[in-house]
Amino acid sequence: MKKESKKPVIAILSLTCCEGCQVAIFNLGERFLEFLTKVNIGDFRLAEELPDVKHYDIAIVEGTAITEEQKRRLKIVRNKSKILIALGACAILGGPQEIKDYRGNKNRLIRQIYPNIRGIDNPNVKSVKEMVKVDLEIPGCPINKNEFFSLMIKVLETGKIPEIEQKPVCEECPRKNKNCLLLSGKPCLGAVSLAGCGAPCPASNFPCDGCRGPRKGINLAAMKKALKIKVRLTDKEIEMLMERFGEKNEFLKASK
Amino acid sequence: MKIRIDHIAKIEGHASFTADIVRGDVRAAKIKIEEGARLFEGILKGRKDEELPEIVSRICGICPVVHNLTGFKAIENAYNLQLDESSVLLRKLMMLGQLINSHALHLFFFSLADFFGYKTDLQLINAYPESTHDAIKIRDVGNKLVEIIGGRSIHPVTPMLGGLRKVPDSEKLKEILNDLRNNLELAIKLGELFIKLRYPKFHRETSFVSLFNSDEYAIYDGLIKIAKTVMKPEQFLMMVKEFQGPDMVAKRTKFAAKTYMVGALARLHNNSDKLNPEAKKLLKKSGMEFPLYNPFYNILAQAIEVVHCFEESIKLLELLTTGKIELSEPKIISRTDEGTGAIEAPRGTLFYSVKLKDGTVEDVNIITPTAQNLANLEADLEEFEHMVGFENLNREQREDKIKMLIRAYDPCVTCSVH
Repeated sequence: MKKESKKPVIAILSLTCCEGCQVAIFNLGERFLEFLTKVNIGDFRLAEELPDVKHYDIAIVEGTAITEEQKRRLKIVRNKSKILIALGACAILGGPQEIKDYRGNKNRLIRQIYPNIRGIDNPNVKSVKEMVKVDLEIPGCPINKNEFFSLMIKVLETGKIPEIEQKPVCEECPRKNKNCLLLSGKPCLGAVSLAGCGAPCPASNFPCDGCRGPRKGINLAAMKKALKIKVRLTDKEIEMLMERFGEKNEFLKASK
Repeated sequence: MKIRIDHIAKIEGHASFTADIVRGDVRAAKIKIEEGARLFEGILKGRKDEELPEIVSRICGICPVVHNLTGFKAIENAYNLQLDESSVLLRKLMMLGQLINSHALHLFFFSLADFFGYKTDLQLINAYPESTHDAIKIRDVGNKLVEIIGGRSIHPVTPMLGGLRKVPDSEKLKEILNDLRNNLELAIKLGELFIKLRYPKFHRETSFVSLFNSDEYAIYDGLIKIAKTVMKPEQFLMMVKEFQGPDMVAKRTKFAAKTYMVGALARLHNNSDKLNPEAKKLLKKSGMEFPLYNPFYNILAQAIEVVHCFEESIKLLELLTTGKIELSEPKIISRTDEGTGAIEAPRGTLFYSVKLKDGTVEDVNIITPTAQNLANLEADLEEFEHMVGFENLNREQREDKIKMLIRAYDPCVTCSVH
């Protein structure tokens, strides 16, 4: 396929993860086709098998680099991209695969699963921004495809990096001021978590588990107190809840 | 001649392939999985029972529904919980939506380009704009079905221990019922497109494994059928051996020391008499006759299943939308025991075995469809010189056919490393 020079060259790449964020991009359906008309696809392994191109205007990366090969590839991608976007909870927070770093001895853990651990990399899991410079983070597990689409359109139209508004999930929650899950004793992290998802979880009676990570300037102490008093969680249970998508200290860092 | 294919595109996850071709004979065919280990079976230990299905959903973004529900089924099996009829119907509908969107993705965006020699879907989209819109519409319907019931199409949130958290909006259910009725024709059209394709001629006998249910085309529940034998999932697992070669981050399995195949072709092979009418018509039109030991036909089998899933969803939704949906929560008497759950994921039978103590996960073992298919796929590749016309192909054409076979299995590499 002939590549036109005017349109930005986009790459959509995946490291270790469930690839659900890429699936969410596919799930844009007709809007995904519209997106394709606005860009030149550089590399997008789920949809093509042409040789890699030399330069990307925008690289969208999901997942965490766990294997040595993935770490090497992430650095190459950074070097050949103008803008690098980290996509989803794995890329931004480390993802559930980071839990192993908190659950006792990770080397013992791997031996319980694999009889033969030779050749299997088992480093401490790092988010993408801990390895390379990241220009924009689009959070969520999975990402909100509508938010992704509107952010991408902004990037494409202005060439600038848009900001995600810092507000709690509670502001988007249909249970706000009525039937609050936390007040009824459910371990809901909506108050400290970054909005933008549209609160599909509490809307389905499922407490927010913070997949988008914390918003800035949270009051972590108040959240913990509420989880202890309203939900009767122990310190350890609170810790396990907050580490579900990795970066257990991320909540601490975001606290004022 | 050494064959080496790095980073096989258009499969879920990362893998490469190596083999030797010695005097026309394919040897040492190996799929190398290139994903980081996530140790899901380890990170779940010590967590609360109900966290397990939420976390395992993240094993796969293409088939999160099946991991989530199989996790619940294994725990419900351990706790001996009986679900109410509505919960089962709603979960079955989520499964059907999952099969529709996963199959449509694989059929149109991963596999179809292989039949035309296109190296990118953009060529496909430009050459077949109408079919592209059809495929997207079909995926949309599948996604919407999961979203309405599951609260979210990727990593659903409504399933809970013993049932579902929320009754879906009845207007939305009626809306999706209409969508399904209005688009059944598109699903049939997509099926007919796949009937017209020319599938490479390859034959290697194997055993087909799937769920089996005497009342329906088994997807959500049933016994395990292998050859002519039917057994409980627990019994089947007792004879399955997981093994791991050197440098392998994804395990393989064998049943009674032999490779076997799971997935759409296996399901059709075992259960085609239970397909819905339009799917049956399509099957007849396709001329597929069982036993059919050509894994390339897994693609066509998926296309037929899409039609079946549309019809089945319509049937179940008609049943659900006539009355009032009431969900009940079964009482959990003991939270200590062992259990097994099995489900038909888009790519084949998925197994979860769990051990729980006082509501805490002590142990969990997950056997994914791709982990089961890998050994069978490698065995096929070792015999691949018998593909009709293989000897006349040049190196690039051989590599293309190898990739096409790998993609026909619709491997989910991410699932296989969990």
